[in-house]
Amino acid sequence: MAKNTRGIEVAEIISDKCIACQICIAECPVGAIELNSAGVAEVDPELCVGCGKCFDSCPVNAVRFEKKKRRPFPLEKAAEPGAPQQKTDRGVAVFIETVDGRGAPVSWELTGKAGELARQLDAKVLGFVLGSNVSGVAEEAIAYGCDEVHLVDDPRLSRYLPATFGKALSDLCEKVRPEIFLIGATALGRDLAGAVATRLQTGLTADCTGLFIEKETGLLLMTRPTFGGNIMATIFCQRKRPQMSSVRPRVFAAPQKDGERKGIVSRHKFSPPTVELPEFVQFIPAGDDAATDIVSFPALVVAGRGACDRSSLPLLEELAQLVGGVLACSRPVVQAGLLPYERQVGQTGRTVAPRLYIGVGVSGAVQHLVAIQGAEKILAINSDPNAPIFRVADAGIVGNYQEIVPELIARLRDKRS
Amino acid sequence: MHVAVCIKQVPDTAEVKIDPETNTLVRAGIESMANPYDMTALEEALRLKDKYGAKVTALSMGPPQADSVLRQALSMGADDAVLLSDRAFAGADTLATSYTLSKAIETLGLAQPVDLVLCGKQAIDGDTAQTGPGIAERLGLTQFTYVIDVESIDPDTRRVRVRRKVDGGFEVISGRLPALLSVELELATPRRASLPMLIDSFRAPIKIWDAKAINASLDLVGLKGSPTWVKAIASPQVHRAGPKWDAAQGLSQAVSAAMDTLFSDENFAAAFQKGWKP
Repeated sequence: MAKNTRGIEVAEIISDKCIACQICIAECPVGAIELNSAGVAEVDPELCVGCGKCFDSCPVNAVRFEKKKRRPFPLEKAAEPGAPQQKTDRGVAVFIETVDGRGAPVSWELTGKAGELARQLDAKVLGFVLGSNVSGVAEEAIAYGCDEVHLVDDPRLSRYLPATFGKALSDLCEKVRPEIFLIGATALGRDLAGAVATRLQTGLTADCTGLFIEKETGLLLMTRPTFGGNIMATIFCQRKRPQMSSVRPRVFAAPQKDGERKGIVSRHKFSPPTVELPEFVQFIPAGDDAATDIVSFPALVVAGRGACDRSSLPLLEELAQLVGGVLACSRPVVQAGLLPYERQVGQTGRTVAPRLYIGVGVSGAVQHLVAIQGAEKILAINSDPNAPIFRVADAGIVGNYQEIVPELIARLRDKRS
Repeated sequence: MHVAVCIKQVPDTAEVKIDPETNTLVRAGIESMANPYDMTALEEALRLKDKYGAKVTALSMGPPQADSVLRQALSMGADDAVLLSDRAFAGADTLATSYTLSKAIETLGLAQPVDLVLCGKQAIDGDTAQTGPGIAERLGLTQFTYVIDVESIDPDTRRVRVRRKVDGGFEVISGRLPALLSVELELATPRRASLPMLIDSFRAPIKIWDAKAINASLDLVGLKGSPTWVKAIASPQVHRAGPKWDAAQGLSQAVSAAMDTLFSDENFAAAFQKGWKP
């Protein structure tokens, strides 16, 4: 191991492992680490005092350091105020988003997941319902797995605004003190989650695709795609409560509705924010085409770069109809102007979980694959036998889709009748 | 009118991958760039400059080499540029980042109050879309996310009216200034720099502010101010890898073999035949 001129065994960064998270830079007590021009951390050996803090804190083992007595990872004691041990901080809360007076599907996907997490923590599932005339949603929330529903029913909450919903929700969190708080990563949910976390000064992990309880610590481990879906990062929130996470729709399965379940509904008063609120002017519904919600279809035929041809669309539409689904696409097809953005599957489009996914000319960039991992069955059609989509497909056909799809349509028609 | 634009320097994420053999990040040859959503925000700010004579200040937090995105902003027409750079800012998550940026915007406001903060909907490396709402919340700004059109700004009544994307359509909404707008790519296409301005931007002074300059508490910036930490990274998991058949070896055999595999699950086959109805 390298020693510096003062005879101290110094730490070294393994540059191809470094992810430039800069944790070591912040941890180093003597400021010996900097990002170099290549964008990775580098230790100045003459400044390094050999304490090993960088080694302990690096999430990806990119620090080369030898120490006779390794200290454990410097986790701060969790038993301080607001700690998980306190009975008051034991609930797993879910924001129940409502659409037209009913719970949005993502809300039930989250109550299902919250139930799983709560069982491991011996905690309750709490539903937070906001809106105007939404007591029906509270009953629904119990049927979908909530043990307690905390309801703020007020005409001033009839339309979503980050200022009013953010205030109401953070007030609820301060009162009810959940240990974990999950919000669906819908357009509304992502807008809201950032405001609530900032008000509560707690950690928020966006767009999670996996949630687990770490056995030893009882902490929530949150997995999310980052770098445009090329990398999965696991994030945790040690000190602040609640541990907040927004979760993409269709990542988790919703539980069966159980009308017999019993739960408690508590009503809370709304205390509005003192700021002047924005004024709603009008709602413009998206055109028919754009309004098609690809997420809600049990089957998807997805056109990719290899089928990016206007004349092929009727053929693919026919296949989509036959399998009881709708036509969707990957990014190049949207960029070519063949289909609207709302039809795009992928990291920057929609995450989908149909029962049947048929990819036609989709090569399978990681961003796309991450967004279809919830599909029950995947059939891939591509002319390139090495296309990554085949690695995630249940079955694949290599060849020209213009020959394969008509044959497939004929066979499926037999199968269907 | 004073418009502040927040710009993040990001790696070209399409290039970032993990080496499956060594489970390490492959970073050779990856270029840095200005986050595309933020450049859209900058373009909108420059249009407000053209229309209302607004002053445009570009703001970025990052290591010293992040000044390149600010030079780019100057070359396109920003009036001023500030780089927030301090070792103490390192390792920041979105909570610490929104704190740091909001302290900087407060500091900018001492010279000339900021009426509008513009930022991209999200950065393409983190994709969180949390920093904008965080800044709005901290500074008490009216928050408008997913903005696709700034319909009007009335400097006299101090109101802004925008069109924003919501589930199922668009919403037109108006609110008081100061406001924060986080913008979608379709709002505007960033302009190209003119050659003289490009040349000037190389020499232009860029202010560098540290934690002290923006009066930030060291407990709230960087890693210390960040409740969330990274525990591990990994390549996205890919499952299945079922069999595949080559249509060139016989089209109908390939299609029927693939269909047999797909429908080998009886429940799945039955659901398909019933048109997915329960």
